[in-house]
Amino acid sequence: MNAVFKPDESFRDDFKYGNSPHAIRRFPFPFAEDEYMYAVNIEPHLPGPKGSVTEFAIDVDEHYVAECRERAIVLAAEPLRFQALPHMMSAQWDCLELIMESLARDYPEYFTLAKQGTRWNWTNRPLGIQQAFLFGDPATLPQPPLEYITRQAQGDWLVMDQREGDLWVEAGMVTTQADWSLDFDIGMTFKEWHGPVPLAHELGVFERALRYLLNLRLNEPVRRLNWTMTIHPRLDTSPENYPKWGPDRAGVTLQNAGDDAYLRVELQGLWRLPRSNGIVFSVRCYLISMRELVTIPKWAARMHRVLKSLHPALADYKGVSRYRATVAEWLAPYDNGAPTGPGTWPD
Amino acid sequence: MLVTGIKSKPVYAPLQADTAGRYHLMLGHGVGGAPLLSLLDELGRSGPLSAGRACVLYVADSAAADNFGVRFRTSASDVRFFDRVAELLAEFRTILTGSFMGTRLYVAGPESFIGLAMKIALEFDLNKDEIRAEECGTLARRVYCIHCRATTEQVRTNIVKCIDCGRHLIVRDHYSRRFAAYMGVMVDAEVPGELPPIKENFV
Amino acid sequence: MKHAVTIAVEVTAVEQVTPLIKHFTLAPIAGGTMPAFSGGSHIIVVMRRANRVHRNPYSLMSPPGRLEAYEISVRRMEESRGGSHFMHDEVGVGSQLEIAHPVNLFGLDKIARKHVLIAGGIGITPFMAQLQDLHAANVPYEMHYSVRAPEHAAFRDQLIEQEGDRLRMYYDSANELIDFEALLGSQPLGTHVYVCGPAGMIERVIGTARACGWSDSHIHWEQFSAPPVGDAFDAFLARSKLKIHVLPDQSLLESIEAAGVDVPYLCRGGVCGFCHTKVVELEGELIHNDHFLSAEEKASGKFMMPCVSRARCKNLVLDL
Repeated sequence: MNAVFKPDESFRDDFKYGNSPHAIRRFPFPFAEDEYMYAVNIEPHLPGPKGSVTEFAIDVDEHYVAECRERAIVLAAEPLRFQALPHMMSAQWDCLELIMESLARDYPEYFTLAKQGTRWNWTNRPLGIQQAFLFGDPATLPQPPLEYITRQAQGDWLVMDQREGDLWVEAGMVTTQADWSLDFDIGMTFKEWHGPVPLAHELGVFERALRYLLNLRLNEPVRRLNWTMTIHPRLDTSPENYPKWGPDRAGVTLQNAGDDAYLRVELQGLWRLPRSNGIVFSVRCYLISMRELVTIPKWAARMHRVLKSLHPALADYKGVSRYRATVAEWLAPYDNGAPTGPGTWPD
Repeated sequence: MLVTGIKSKPVYAPLQADTAGRYHLMLGHGVGGAPLLSLLDELGRSGPLSAGRACVLYVADSAAADNFGVRFRTSASDVRFFDRVAELLAEFRTILTGSFMGTRLYVAGPESFIGLAMKIALEFDLNKDEIRAEECGTLARRVYCIHCRATTEQVRTNIVKCIDCGRHLIVRDHYSRRFAAYMGVMVDAEVPGELPPIKENFV
Repeated sequence: MKHAVTIAVEVTAVEQVTPLIKHFTLAPIAGGTMPAFSGGSHIIVVMRRANRVHRNPYSLMSPPGRLEAYEISVRRMEESRGGSHFMHDEVGVGSQLEIAHPVNLFGLDKIARKHVLIAGGIGITPFMAQLQDLHAANVPYEMHYSVRAPEHAAFRDQLIEQEGDRLRMYYDSANELIDFEALLGSQPLGTHVYVCGPAGMIERVIGTARACGWSDSHIHWEQFSAPPVGDAFDAFLARSKLKIHVLPDQSLLESIEAAGVDVPYLCRGGVCGFCHTKVVELEGELIHNDHFLSAEEKASGKFMMPCVSRARCKNLVLDL
């Protein structure tokens, strides 16, 4: 895949953002049916079709440079978006190795990793970075290992320690989240940090997911999709900054819904980590406006139907209650009522 | 327009002795004295409570005038009274430094008291299978403002004005053991001034 | 994907470290390094013989920081189903084996304030790797190593040199027994105890820790016992529609695998629960040898762990 980076894109203020036709076609549309309900929906993270967002372990797309710049902006204002408890250092190194090896293997035109024992040399051409360091020695990197490498990777990264038959989120880089706070949640167990999700607990979703993840094996990562909506292509929809992005929800009209309402899909990956025996959880955000989405007729119809039938508690939790009727109304002309084809890919 | 009815609160239960433990350390605040007395009774049934086997740290509450002082002294040999929560917690930390594996911790009192005690217990790797807590007394909450990071104490309503930044916060049912507080998020960010009805939920 | 993708390795060194224990060094045939791992991990070694496949778990002993090769040690078991004899008698330098990626069911607790490690005999192996992790951490620890006699103390000299007075040796031959009550009765809060060795030792450690008031979250144990042997029996796999015959020294899991059906597994020792299987029909009794199912689940006759459990029955149908 040959991405042309668009370094001038922005995810705040003037929101200069758009998806190329290629990016639209490869968008990870999450709905395989016309109605949505939770499922554990974990599947092996095996290579997907060529050109797709799952072709490689960690996806780099046309928004890479702009997203890395956006992360740097968030961190400059709020350093607590990256945190790591003291006992998580070996997990941090595990993550650095995972990300560097994946990027260098799958995008050799952009990244190079040269190793001589513990002397590593990392080159990131799109960001113009060259770094020699000693793997395992934090003093040889300008930031803690997890922070260092996640400043060069799209999406959020949570690292969990496994102990006492549970998973504890104890390190993370979280700047592109859908309304949850690392600073508040750090130190919580799996079910605790998922506490706010309605209905799922009663369905036993988290109990099953936890048991599955406790037995996650090295070299056998898994993935799933999650979704919500955002007004404007804003990546940082943290609770901390809710005063900034909250008002956007009240500003959706039939005139602007096509351009300002975005489907936000999270491609989540989970890997067992070798030295720490922890688990890293990546949350990669993809944004598509309604106007871009309806260029794929199947998606237009299905999005309309999912929004109309969404359970009120889910709508509330996903934060779409205030505007979903308006967006559904905007989508209605694109839904001819005919049955939609199976699966999530464009027909 | 924020979510309610979500569940990540800690779960508390009436205190029962964990007879698998060797040493029983008890912390009580105000009416929390009552469950601790029952606990001492229960433990006492399996044999006299030798010094070192049970230790009680208690801080009275102006509202609770139940004369726990006298009743504690007849129940256990090692009872320590404090005028302020902060002093009790400092002593608690000192005791933990010299405690052994086999210790069980029991805490009874308002949630904020339990939360602050658990924060200290966390530092000593006391796990949830070694700690029992009973919530009694006021249900008032400590609220952590996610925007300015200040903690507002003794919150009894579902909406509260942050003590520092002044924003109106909805008190979410999402609790952090690290902060021993619930998350408060600006309630009228979407439409400033549009507040849901204010209810006294945590009295 | 139940059988994890395996790594082809070649044995590059074999050393008889005690009369009963052999130490093997395994290097990747494809070159490069072995995958990184955490101390306490084990690998499954796949041993293919003419008529049987053995899949035995062995703890990784090599320092987690040294990945040119993996090191394992195998004790020759007197009543063996063949796995340890295979390793001792048929594997030498140049032999090629397959191993699965490391799995850790015996990790150090990262927020422990102190670690007490207790090894009996070959149980020293997982600790060899964990000790390397502990050197890097800043937490106090003690290693207590009990063996029959000095000549059976694998790696003793290396341990004495690297651990100094953090190591205490106990020789049965000199009547030196670990005083578990004294050891576990006076540990500071936040201590975790880890034990690996014979079943009896593990039971004593767990029992004593609990009697001293330790909570289960601070007690860790690992036991690699071979699946118990027993009378042959038959079973029917309902979904695969296959009849299988389980030989006396073959586990139910191995028999199912030999029939070409994959069952998920992690430890193959009745502990992790991964091979949890539903019993559809039973005329007879199940012989539960696992540590995973609850007493109620065992009594119900509705579940079993094929890695170590067996049956004495006229009819056994499994949901596989």
